[in-house]
Amino acid sequence: MCSKLLSMRSLIQPTNAILRQVLICQNKTTPNLKTFTTSPVTCVNFFNKLPAEKLWKSVTSVSNAGAKKGRGKGAGRIRIRDLNRGQVIGVGKINMLWPGLSAPVIRGRELLKQQRLPDDPDRMEKIIQLRDSMTKFRRIRLSPIERGWSGSRMPGRSIGAPDPIGEDVFTGFDTKVLQLRSLLIMKGSLGRTRNYQAMVVTGNGQGLAGFGLGRAKEAPAALRKAKNRAGQKLMHFEIYNGHTIFHDFYTAFGKTKIFVQKKNEGYGLKCHRAIKEICQAIGIKDLRAKMEGSNNLQHIVKAFFIGLLQQRSHQQLAEEKKLHLVEYRAENEYFPKVVASPSEVRTKEEIPKDETLDFTQYVMNDKVILKKKKFPPFYESMPHYKLHLKKYEKYRNHEKIRLNLKSEYGEVKSFLTDKYPEEKVETET
Amino acid sequence: MTLLFSKIAQNNIKTVITRNNDLQILTISYRKLSIVPSLYDGKEDPAPKFFSSNVQVLLKRLTRPDFNKVFRKRTNSGLAVLRTPKYKFLTNEELEAEILKANKKADVLLQMPPVVKVHQPVDDVLSKDPALVGYDSAKYLFTDITFGIANERRLIVERDPDGTLRHCGHDVRKRLNQTYFPIPGRKIKEPMMFTNEDRFNSLLDRQEYEFLLDRACLQYEPDEASYQRITSITYQHIDMNKSYDLLRSTRHFGPMTFYLTWHQSMDSLMLELLQSGAVREGVLLAALRQALLGDVANGDNAQALAQQILPTPIQLAKPERLTEEDIQLDNKCVECIEEYIVSNSAMKSQQELALQGFREHYQQLIELSRGLKKAHGNA
Repeated sequence: MCSKLLSMRSLIQPTNAILRQVLICQNKTTPNLKTFTTSPVTCVNFFNKLPAEKLWKSVTSVSNAGAKKGRGKGAGRIRIRDLNRGQVIGVGKINMLWPGLSAPVIRGRELLKQQRLPDDPDRMEKIIQLRDSMTKFRRIRLSPIERGWSGSRMPGRSIGAPDPIGEDVFTGFDTKVLQLRSLLIMKGSLGRTRNYQAMVVTGNGQGLAGFGLGRAKEAPAALRKAKNRAGQKLMHFEIYNGHTIFHDFYTAFGKTKIFVQKKNEGYGLKCHRAIKEICQAIGIKDLRAKMEGSNNLQHIVKAFFIGLLQQRSHQQLAEEKKLHLVEYRAENEYFPKVVASPSEVRTKEEIPKDETLDFTQYVMNDKVILKKKKFPPFYESMPHYKLHLKKYEKYRNHEKIRLNLKSEYGEVKSFLTDKYPEEKVETET
Repeated sequence: MTLLFSKIAQNNIKTVITRNNDLQILTISYRKLSIVPSLYDGKEDPAPKFFSSNVQVLLKRLTRPDFNKVFRKRTNSGLAVLRTPKYKFLTNEELEAEILKANKKADVLLQMPPVVKVHQPVDDVLSKDPALVGYDSAKYLFTDITFGIANERRLIVERDPDGTLRHCGHDVRKRLNQTYFPIPGRKIKEPMMFTNEDRFNSLLDRQEYEFLLDRACLQYEPDEASYQRITSITYQHIDMNKSYDLLRSTRHFGPMTFYLTWHQSMDSLMLELLQSGAVREGVLLAALRQALLGDVANGDNAQALAQQILPTPIQLAKPERLTEEDIQLDNKCVECIEEYIVSNSAMKSQQELALQGFREHYQQLIELSRGLKKAHGNA
């Protein structure tokens, strides 16, 4: 490609030489017939015959077969530049003052005259810089807050509240993109065409949330459709103590299985990133979710929403079991707090022997999460680790001692420090 | 019997002495606060009265334990992170058993720090051996570290350079006990919050009373003068600011009430009770005074009334409906307190005003509940 450009430059020079000759001929007052030739002088050439568009095409085009192989993409690709950019009529290589073109005719009371000004040595450099900036690929830089799951790609990014319907405005809502992908579909008349599909979740962080799927020819349109559809399908979820779900549950959609666990305050959201976005949209702050089987994103979303909808409140659970539901918290010294009581309570004799009374087992519908055994790290069986343990055993309380000394004396010192003050002076110097 | 002896350099004795001097300076400087600590160092020992079951019951009832506060989340509950709550399905019987267990746990949490007399200095020479004079320039300490002996009964003796063998003083005993049998959380050196006046005052100003008292319980023995001085200043500060509610439902409310009653300065507590409409507790307080000091007019009546009050449930909030028995009991209480105000109170006018306010409020309540009962019929 570069060689092509070089060859263009070599073409330009001979044409200039011809033009100069022609000018010289015109300046002579008496034409010299000896130099007169009847052979035609061609002032039309490749460069002034064709428009810029075609010239550029000849440089940048890639054959059909080449394009299929992926040529003309990536690094080293020649891009079309607008050579007129940065150029102004009346300003050129030679810095001339043209009254009426590049300067006013009258300045003050003085009539300006056509004159040559000192040359601007940086002019060409500036223009070249401008041309380079057009062609060089620039990555869209997002602020860390705006970034999605992976840089500037759409999944994980926020696209604002759904559009208002009439006078109903979605205040406090925010929409997160969960998936944006292109689908190829075959059409009888058009052949293979590209469609975009988007899945988003919208919510106000206070219990209202919904998800939507949108398809369109263009990605932004698909996102907009999905967002507005999500706004139309809002569901309300109760949040326990404003931070978590009511109980552990198991949920599945297709081959996707999710085990969701209720967690304490401050635990955070430890789950698939899509589930995390959904939880944030709803307003759930603490939860753990373990996935099994297929990790098809649309199935994950659907399974999680179904699971949330199938939750039972504490009162419902108590009524189902006809037993008191009692909560024990470690931070409250395991004080039995009755969270729900049924209208009538069964006695011990009325409970069948094989009934599941364990709360977790009951709410999980007798499903059990597979807990894999944790193996010790590989290095623990190696000799160097034992050596390390031996070596650092004597330092094991040093941090605590340092802290204690600092709190007591304001510095790390021993009982010998006061006895030998000269040592302290030495270490300081 | 295993014996361990340690050798303490002469200058250590000096540090002990200087520390004692520090304490004296501190007691003087607390007077800037215009709080004079009063210790249980008089002739009479408060322990028999404090431990008598009658007084203990009264003090526990006056604590007004609210389980939401007794079992509240604490910053020092020993958990680095919170745990996920656990749930259980329980039948009625099981729930009752659990509540019974929780009550027992609450009793443990609300166990009051003992109130006892300040200990006497130890001066008990075991023997004098002139043959050992000048044997060493340091004194020797011998500690019996046999397993299973209570710290206060442990044998700890010292041999001075002049050949005297004697029992150690309380300070040395405490240090050695802490060295060989450390109590978790107790420091050998006194914490800065107790020794540094500014820090101590800043804690008082921030009303961190419970923290102060808890730490004092951990650091000191109840018969130490330092403990009694610190608690005394804290109780008086609470009394001055009338922030009794901060100590309610904690184990320190009983000793505080005991302290105030013992020193006959429980009238602002009585005023607070009357202002908050807790006349029954007012009667209990009068009964407590009768039990401790025996100077309440018609005190036997108050004590008899207290026995009637104790079986009734604790009123954590102001009642909305009243039964006839309630009205009867409360009227008796009001009469009893009237007598108390006339004969014993140091804040007569204020307390009378508060009682008058209670009466008016109570009259409205009676009318309301009687009217409601009439409206609903007698069923």
